[in-house]
Amino acid sequence: MRFEIDYTSEFKYLEPVWESQNLLRACPTTDAHQTLLHYELRTVPAARVHSYVDYWGTRVDAFGARAPHDRLSIHARSSVETRSTGPMAAAPAWKRLSDPAFIEAHLEYLAPSRHTAWNEALRAEAERRAAPAGADIVGAVLSLHRMVGSSLAYVPGSTTVGVDVNDVLRGRKGVCQDFAHLLIAMCRSLAIPARYVSGYLFSESSESEHEPQVESVKVKTHAWAEVAIPAAGWWGLDPTNRQETGPRHIKIGHGRDYDDVLPLRGVYLGGGDHKLDVCVSIRREASAQQQ
Amino acid sequence: MLARHAEDLFWAGRYIERAEDTARLLDVTYHGLLESPLLDAASAWRELLEQLYLDQAFAAKGLPITDSAVTEFLVLDPNNAGSIVRSVARARDNARNVRERISTELWEAINTLFLELHARDLRADLEREPYQLYRFVKSRCQIISGVSAETMSRDDGWRFLLLGRMLERAEMTCRLLSVRFRRSGRAAVPSDVHYWIAVLKSVSAFEAYLRAHRAQIEPQDVLEFLLLSREFPRSVLFALRASESELVRLGAGTIPSRPERLLGRLRADLEFMDIHEIVESGLLAALDALQHGILAVAEAVERHFFRAAAPPELHVFESV
Amino acid sequence: MTSDLFTDYQRGDFFDEVFDAQGEIRPHYRPLVERLRALPSDELLRRARLRDTILRNLGITFAVYGEAQGIERTWPLDLIPRIIPADEWRHVERGLVQRVRALNCFLEDLYVGERAALREGVIPTWLVQSSAGFCREAYGIPVPRGAHCLVAGIDVVRDARGTYRVLEDNLRTPSGVSYVLENRATLTRVLPLAFAQHRVRPVNHYGASLLSALRNLAPPSASDPPRVVVLTPGIYNSAYFEHAFLARQMGIELVEGRDLVVDDHVVFMRTTRGLSRVDVIYRRVDDEFLDPAVFRCDSVLGVPGLLAAARAGNVSLANAIGNGVADDKAVYAYVPALVRFYLGEEPILPNVETYLLWEPDQRAAALSRLHELVVKPVDASGGYGIVIGPKATEEELAAVRKAIEAKPRNYIAQEVVALSRHPTLVDDAQRGGGRIEGRHIDLRPFVLTGEKIEVIPGGLTRVALRKDSLVVNSSQGGGSKDTWVLAADENGTAG
Repeated sequence: MRFEIDYTSEFKYLEPVWESQNLLRACPTTDAHQTLLHYELRTVPAARVHSYVDYWGTRVDAFGARAPHDRLSIHARSSVETRSTGPMAAAPAWKRLSDPAFIEAHLEYLAPSRHTAWNEALRAEAERRAAPAGADIVGAVLSLHRMVGSSLAYVPGSTTVGVDVNDVLRGRKGVCQDFAHLLIAMCRSLAIPARYVSGYLFSESSESEHEPQVESVKVKTHAWAEVAIPAAGWWGLDPTNRQETGPRHIKIGHGRDYDDVLPLRGVYLGGGDHKLDVCVSIRREASAQQQ
Repeated sequence: MLARHAEDLFWAGRYIERAEDTARLLDVTYHGLLESPLLDAASAWRELLEQLYLDQAFAAKGLPITDSAVTEFLVLDPNNAGSIVRSVARARDNARNVRERISTELWEAINTLFLELHARDLRADLEREPYQLYRFVKSRCQIISGVSAETMSRDDGWRFLLLGRMLERAEMTCRLLSVRFRRSGRAAVPSDVHYWIAVLKSVSAFEAYLRAHRAQIEPQDVLEFLLLSREFPRSVLFALRASESELVRLGAGTIPSRPERLLGRLRADLEFMDIHEIVESGLLAALDALQHGILAVAEAVERHFFRAAAPPELHVFESV
Repeated sequence: MTSDLFTDYQRGDFFDEVFDAQGEIRPHYRPLVERLRALPSDELLRRARLRDTILRNLGITFAVYGEAQGIERTWPLDLIPRIIPADEWRHVERGLVQRVRALNCFLEDLYVGERAALREGVIPTWLVQSSAGFCREAYGIPVPRGAHCLVAGIDVVRDARGTYRVLEDNLRTPSGVSYVLENRATLTRVLPLAFAQHRVRPVNHYGASLLSALRNLAPPSASDPPRVVVLTPGIYNSAYFEHAFLARQMGIELVEGRDLVVDDHVVFMRTTRGLSRVDVIYRRVDDEFLDPAVFRCDSVLGVPGLLAAARAGNVSLANAIGNGVADDKAVYAYVPALVRFYLGEEPILPNVETYLLWEPDQRAAALSRLHELVVKPVDASGGYGIVIGPKATEEELAAVRKAIEAKPRNYIAQEVVALSRHPTLVDDAQRGGGRIEGRHIDLRPFVLTGEKIEVIPGGLTRVALRKDSLVVNSSQGGGSKDTWVLAADENGTAG
């Protein structure tokens, strides 16, 4: 599927800001599931953008604004072609997880991180949920995925990023970042590598499979998880929507947790409080294969 | 030079001058009262507080206006932003921030004054021999000026230090004069000789004045001397001319900066005034205009040279 | 009347820098010892007072963390210098240059290159990734000429046999070089004749060498000559004296974070004449405070946008960001392997024997003889957190054992090095006369990566002033000695 994505962030400051410095991660990545066709970034006031690829492989746009300004708008437009991938066919046994080469390759995604540091209760819960799957890792992960998706209530605004993942499990509610962090923490607690993905989700329910859409759809930035399955590779799971990731999931990048793929962070000097509106709209276009 | 360093030097100069001038004003007020027991002490102290814009801060303490309450407030009250100990402490903070740009001798002179003020029992000093205390502060401040003149290169750092001191001095001298006349009404210049002697003494101008005017104490001559003397270093004109020449050297040399233009105009207006004209058209209004002009120059200096030196509060944000 | 200061000197069961095993004075120390012997004891005391006056007038003090703010002590400089003969120094120097070359290669490989050392298993990937000093934010930031460790302070000790060994690497913001220069300036005034009898290599070119190394780091777009500044956290930092000292030595501006601003990925300094471009920053601010736009800090010590500017190649930082991974004390154990891997050479200076506590066998071996070993946290410096087995109480040993078992990656254990000793003037103030006793010493030479790698002759010799103590850190009761490297002819003695 081909999508055109408009990402807009609009800052309004109470008082004029002297200076701001920003790091934006809004550009879709290119990998086995998707290809970035076009990306452009515009800011008002205009700024010189320095772009680079960070440690995790995500494109970062760095820019500052130094003339006094009372608003800053960031507009990133991209177009992406996504592909369907087949279902998870592998069914490796648990002992494959202890292969030293496999561990070495996935070290970053096995250790606890700021947002995924689990306690014993969380690990015990993960073990209990995974047990019915027996020796099958894929079955165990699916069971954890279903558990997170079904026992957590999606409550927008119910948490702010930074809430302890163990509290998320106890409180049974959260936003998509919490869902992802919980699934990741549960997997890692069982020595299954898992990573956090930041991206966009095209979610038009009435959309017809083959007709391009004229109207764009307003969405939010989204987060999900990828789990490393021995011999099969990374497997995308979206616990918030209780589904495996598919061509409607548009990935920006991944990391150990939210901190590594923060969509927008930075600082500003002066200006007092700020109001930030983030708006993402996605339009589905005629796909390359159909043209 | 770094804007931050310039700002620190500018304020170090101002605070040292402020401490010295406050000691001068206290000295002359206190001893003036002793010499003229008929004067109303409370109104003299009130006058002084007004002159320093500290009348409201003092009133907020809820104390009666007495010799000891006012002198303690102005000398050693750590909560009074205009007290001598606070001015010296702030000058020392500024100097410490630019420790690397000033001479060791200058740092030591400022630091020593700060430490000695702390070591002294200032309350007892004020009770027993206030004269010694004021003398001590004045002479230490003058030592600081002397040490800076003898040990600092004539670079931009020196210029900002001097600029701060001279602008503060011009303003303090204006304040001294304006409060003296506020209560006497328009153009009514007091004729009491003792009074004028006290005014001259408060700015160490008595001897210089006598030499210039052969012991004739004429009110208008005194005014002229303190406002317009080109030779006496504590006159308003002298201080403004000194400030101006430093500002010119600090400029890029092509188009005069805004502070330079403001100060040039102010200095020219004063320089070409006639003292009789001033007195007739209203001394108070003239002094007010002068004081406002000096404030505007100081603000322009802040804006032109240091504005960027103190960035406002830092906010960190993250968005999902 | 002259009393011989060395008459009662106890050489002890250690390597003594001045006296050999037979109690004979080593040749390179002879003129100095003879000179000292000729001095009446009250003369030495007089010179000690002169030294104190000079140090006080120079304002050479240091602040100690944990003490009330503003408490500064006069720098403790021992009157008796340490002398290193030319041939010994040549050996140490070659070893240091080699080590710093390898460390620069490692950091370049890790942050800019292909991570060959990890791929080829020279050092475990997990060890690097779990190092608190491994800075993922530094990934991809160009470092001109690969000079990651522009200034390195490599701590070197001599063991019971007199072998020089590297004790630890300080690659982030090593401090102490100002004391090297001030010690020399002071001692030339206090013991002028002793200097006259040795050909001592000078150290006062350090400022010039540092500046030239910093300029060598300038990005391609820099002005000519490049504008270099020293970035300090401010006057309350314990090493502020040194920051100011170095800025003065180099004749460049000493700035704080708030004096700098980034505009379109270019760094400027705020001056009274407007913004002025900066090309190279010798920063003495720790990584995690450098840029609040990148690191999770709301501190104003740094400069928002600084990392992006460095990444864009418009400014260079010295030392580079992320060096902490290479002076991690667990990574230290692999430095000899890194020397072999990158340079294809055998390490000239050996490490101190180190136990890697995450390896079960080594951990078991170390825990069984903890009371004979030194345990160090892997990411601390300045001697903080070190437990010396033979001197520790049972409680301290039990606590460190527990800590190791909980987080073996966070500690290393090392054999106790019987640090060499050096005659040192002690108790001179209390007893009204000088007495000379042996005290343990180490050495922190300073290595600059400029166009070539350069070692300043000597370095900071630190001395444990407390009797029998092995802790030389100035924050913990250590003192210092002027360190004389002799010029190469007849072992440096002139007549």
